Amino acid sequence: MKIIGFANQKGGVAKTTTAIVLAHGLARLGIRTLLVDLDPQGHIAFSLGLDKAPGLFRLICLNEPLQKLTVNARPNLDILPGDKNTEKVKRQITLSDFRETILLDQLKQTNYQAVLIDMAPSLDVLHINGLVASDWVVIPTRLDALAIDGVKEILLTMGEVAQRGYPFAGYNILPTFFDRTTRETYTQLQEIARTFGKRVWPPIPQDTRIREAAAYGKTPWEYSPNSPAMRGYPDHRPNLGGYQQILERLMEIIHA
Amino acid sequence: MPERKLERRSILDPAVADLLSNMEKKQAVSQLPQKIREKKAREREKIRKRREQRVTYDLPPDLRQQIKNLAAEHRVPASQLVTLALVRFMEAYQAGQVDLGIYKQISNSPRYEWNLVLPDHLLKKTYRKRSVTR
Repeated sequence: MKIIGFANQKGGVAKTTTAIVLAHGLARLGIRTLLVDLDPQGHIAFSLGLDKAPGLFRLICLNEPLQKLTVNARPNLDILPGDKNTEKVKRQITLSDFRETILLDQLKQTNYQAVLIDMAPSLDVLHINGLVASDWVVIPTRLDALAIDGVKEILLTMGEVAQRGYPFAGYNILPTFFDRTTRETYTQLQEIARTFGKRVWPPIPQDTRIREAAAYGKTPWEYSPNSPAMRGYPDHRPNLGGYQQILERLMEIIHA
Repeated sequence: MPERKLERRSILDPAVADLLSNMEKKQAVSQLPQKIREKKAREREKIRKRREQRVTYDLPPDLRQQIKNLAAEHRVPASQLVTLALVRFMEAYQAGQVDLGIYKQISNSPRYEWNLVLPDHLLKKTYRKRSVTR
């Protein structure tokens, strides 16, 4: 089992969207996948056309078994939903012993081939739990100075987590909302490519259809599988960027 | 001891490197005067349109040379000559004048069921210059 975390302390960088698209992509390839929502906004369930539910709260605070709390969202794809009760989980974790590994201990007992964790844009005990549980971290980021500062912050946090004895197998940075017509995008991409080299994944083009998909409770694989955000830029051969290409990169990590 | 061949390592994801170089080119073009920019745009459009027509097939080197010679002799593009040849072949095939069956042999490839094995004398036939009567 591989646990992949999606984190960036900056909000609005497409963490949830990325986690949903990749989780459903893995499921469509036959990988038994669990998607865990650590965000009190509960947008994982909403985006998949399901109701928000206090899944994480009941798992951590009420000690109910995970199998009872997961909801089947699509073939091969289960989710552990969240809602505003997730806030209470933080308090509970703060008062617990071995608080950093509470989530990891729960996930270790499952038999999924891949677990994807969507983290909230914050730095709290739940966030640390998510990072401790993750083997690999994907850091979605917009290509602007504020979001890239968020990348720096999350990398510092990951460094601290690793120093505490929970190392990561690796991480990748995923540029999102990519608009190749602006000079700022180019400058920022150049900058992060220079700094992080191969850890920078091909970008996800800006695409309104992704927002529409969430409104209909569909994943982009169902709503707009041929849109630029999914297939990348068609004027390159092969197509460049897009979630399809990122899914291939993720499969390499899962099978590594 | 045999000398080890040094290979330059790529430090970027190939797709990101490709994108960056493309954007770099576009940035460079955007700095050019408008006339040159328009010319470059026209060239790009021409290349884009040609993509539909481009195709790569393997041909025996002798045949390729014969096509090249014939194109040079008539001072026409080899692509147009090959187009004519293929159109004539398709017509002949539709009219039942070409039997592919006599060349077919079972293929070991998982992609194809048959190979067309052309006899040597067909491939080695050399093209001879012909006087053109008008």
